[in-house]
Amino acid sequence: MCFLGFGSYFCYDNPAALQTQVQGDMKVDTTTFMALYAWYSWPNVILCFFGGFLIDRVFGIRWGTIIFSIFVCIGQVIFALGALFNAFWLMELGRFVFGIGGESLAVAQNTYAVSWFKGKELNLVFGLQLSMARIGSTVNMNVMGLIYSRVQEMLRSTGYTTLGVTLMIGGVTCIFSLICALVLAYLDRRAEKILCKEQGKTGEVIKLTDVKDFSLSLWLIFIICVCYYVAVFPFIGLGKVFFIEKFKFSSKEASAINSIVYIISAPMSPAFGFLVDKLGRNITWVLCAVVTTLASCIMLAFTFWNPWIAMCLMGVAYSLLACALWPMVAFVVPDHQLGTAYGFMQSIQNLGLAIIAIAAGMILDSRGYLFLEVFFSACMCYMGQVILKPLSVTGGDLNLSSRKREKLQKLAAAEAENQEKLRCQNEDDLAKLQPQNEFSLRNRYLSRLGAQLPGNYAACHLSALAHKSVLK
Amino acid sequence: MPGSSGGCLSVLCLLGSFYLLAGDPGGCCRKVSLQYNPGLNSSSVNLLHVRAVGCNNTLHYVWSSIGAPTALLVYTDSESSALRVNWTKLLSPSPAGAIVVEPAGSVLYSTAVVFSRVFEYNGANTSDLTAVHEDNFYPTYDLADFSWESVNRTLNETALSATFQGVSVSDPKGAFRNGSISFRVTAYEESSRDTLLPRLLHTANSSKVEFIVNRVAPRGNGSRFALEIITVEEKGGRKTLESLRSINDEYTPTIFEVAQLVSDARNDSAGPSFLQWKATAYSSQNAMREDSYHCRYYPLQTANRTLPRLSIAHAYFGEALASQHSVAAINISFGSEDNEAYEEKGYLSWSALIGFGTPPKDTFSPLVMAIMVVALGTPVVLLVAGSFVVLLVQKKRLEEMAAKDHLA
Repeated sequence: MCFLGFGSYFCYDNPAALQTQVQGDMKVDTTTFMALYAWYSWPNVILCFFGGFLIDRVFGIRWGTIIFSIFVCIGQVIFALGALFNAFWLMELGRFVFGIGGESLAVAQNTYAVSWFKGKELNLVFGLQLSMARIGSTVNMNVMGLIYSRVQEMLRSTGYTTLGVTLMIGGVTCIFSLICALVLAYLDRRAEKILCKEQGKTGEVIKLTDVKDFSLSLWLIFIICVCYYVAVFPFIGLGKVFFIEKFKFSSKEASAINSIVYIISAPMSPAFGFLVDKLGRNITWVLCAVVTTLASCIMLAFTFWNPWIAMCLMGVAYSLLACALWPMVAFVVPDHQLGTAYGFMQSIQNLGLAIIAIAAGMILDSRGYLFLEVFFSACMCYMGQVILKPLSVTGGDLNLSSRKREKLQKLAAAEAENQEKLRCQNEDDLAKLQPQNEFSLRNRYLSRLGAQLPGNYAACHLSALAHKSVLK
Repeated sequence: MPGSSGGCLSVLCLLGSFYLLAGDPGGCCRKVSLQYNPGLNSSSVNLLHVRAVGCNNTLHYVWSSIGAPTALLVYTDSESSALRVNWTKLLSPSPAGAIVVEPAGSVLYSTAVVFSRVFEYNGANTSDLTAVHEDNFYPTYDLADFSWESVNRTLNETALSATFQGVSVSDPKGAFRNGSISFRVTAYEESSRDTLLPRLLHTANSSKVEFIVNRVAPRGNGSRFALEIITVEEKGGRKTLESLRSINDEYTPTIFEVAQLVSDARNDSAGPSFLQWKATAYSSQNAMREDSYHCRYYPLQTANRTLPRLSIAHAYFGEALASQHSVAAINISFGSEDNEAYEEKGYLSWSALIGFGTPPKDTFSPLVMAIMVVALGTPVVLLVAGSFVVLLVQKKRLEEMAAKDHLA
């Protein structure tokens, strides 16, 4: 499951890893180059909401995942073809198609995670997914340049052909992701058969208007997500110059310290995920993360202390937040709305990021880094105060310790099991009415006759009897 | 919580008033007049006299492109002191004494800043001037050998500014076919802040000079420029290079460092003189943050420095200049490995303040103060108030319990 997102994260940052090459080969300036990212992110403000909705309503999670993976593949191929044919507009189109798949795939991944791991190691799984994503982009950053120079040696020419071939090679990761999606779908089907659970047949179907009925806690979670991501990512995006000018770092050091947040989050988020799984109390953890981030923001803004301290703190806080925050959605949303809820969360996160990235740029242009940091700190403060407090009140079992949560879950699980049994039985009853194979007909006939049937032929297992192989 | 908000407000007012008090280090306003080539009916040479009259003193700035571009700064404690220029002497090979400020007794302090040379080098590998290999330097532009256009054309009496625009006389590669190097001079009547980046805070006792390289063709890929500045101090005086790093980049986004050359402290009203600049240059006329070039300066060189042979500094300080005055030079280079190369925009501008008194210093703006107090202060207040309330409630409860016990 974790590899599902690998391809899309790997290819998402392809342009950044090959920026000089792309700009040189395609002969475009930086602004035009940045359009490659804009084409990815702007449509996603809306698209991944619909992506999530489609997963819930139309495709189901398995087909949804497969379809979105296919989109990712096709997008990357178009992107590479654009480079091969030296057509920049084709590259932009490729990024757009890639974007249709990319973010929705992330939504699908989250939904999968919840449907498989809810009540078990959900936080850990989210942590693992995050670290996989980070590894994806890190590998990309380091590998793509190498591949490019190899291809260049092989073809003995520079130019757009080399770029196209390199991107095609990058596209292999997308195929890999697609294969993962297929395997997942197979596994999910099997699991469903074995565990006798079925999706989408609960009778409740999500409508788009359900969005307005999302609970207050869910909205608060959304707002936290937006506020936090908005305060951390734009800063990282704009941070390099800050470290060079304020702390007199060299260009290389500045890049290194700027990426430390991601590097830390790769190993830390599974660890924290495990911790949060064991201890529960998600809200407390989120609060911790927010306070830590606030501290590091203040440190960066008001002191000349070594920024490595602040940035490492921020990395730790970020990984803690990511693996404590995302799984919270699963606790406050009914299962059939999960895809939509995650889609919506991703949508407004994208929207927030897109708007704040512009706003942060403007603030920086007119008022500088100090003001920016103060602004972000204020964001954090209000988030901590105004939002987390009501959330801990209204959030119900969000902040339970894992032991309490387990108890509740056992209760719920027992109830669900009962219902499930009932449902299974009903189905069996229904099955009795359906035309049956000769084996079961013979059984019924025998039992009517009053002949003794082996004990394991008990009524509850009758549906299993439909599969002859089980008997052998 | 009315108490806390009232507290916040009063703190804000206090900060605000403090800010207003601290914001005007320049003292009184000055009356500034510009005079072009006083006493000469020709514009073949440029000499701009800026006379800034204040309460009980007058500042004279003499900007000239006769020889190397030079700014001569004279502080007098009289409101009626005047500049006299002996043009025949000034334009002769020995100009000593051609420029005087009368009455001589009113002169408290004088100093000069000479912009002597512009270096061009290949900065593709490193922008550090001291690390660049000699082979990577292109022939130096000696500003004394430039031909300067008439300043009269660019003189703006309302904006109190003028531009010295020059091209290299010996220009075999045609680098100056479309381009020029210029110095734009602006005088101020009162303290305030520029509206354009780098938004230097200036006092009435200072002027601004902008060094501009506009469309001068670079002589190679990855060309970078550096400027050599020479300062002249009176006998026994000495300039020191100071670097001020602050956390505040509000006025000049992304720039946290101010560098200044300050002379020794003085006992009279003149105060020290200074040359102050922010560690940034810009690659566009309408400077934006992303046009910023990293600007780097190198240690002050004091040993064996001489002035260019032609400069109005000779005319004012006389022949004894080299032996009796202390001369120091500093190099400033523009652009670093992270910045785009000069050839992309073909424009470079760098601003510095030059003047008397304590160099101006940026303070937090009221807006930032307000946000800090409200956003970061409120949680603290709430925390304290909250714990206070909790304590009170507990105490009350204890008392009630005690009362019950008593009743029982």
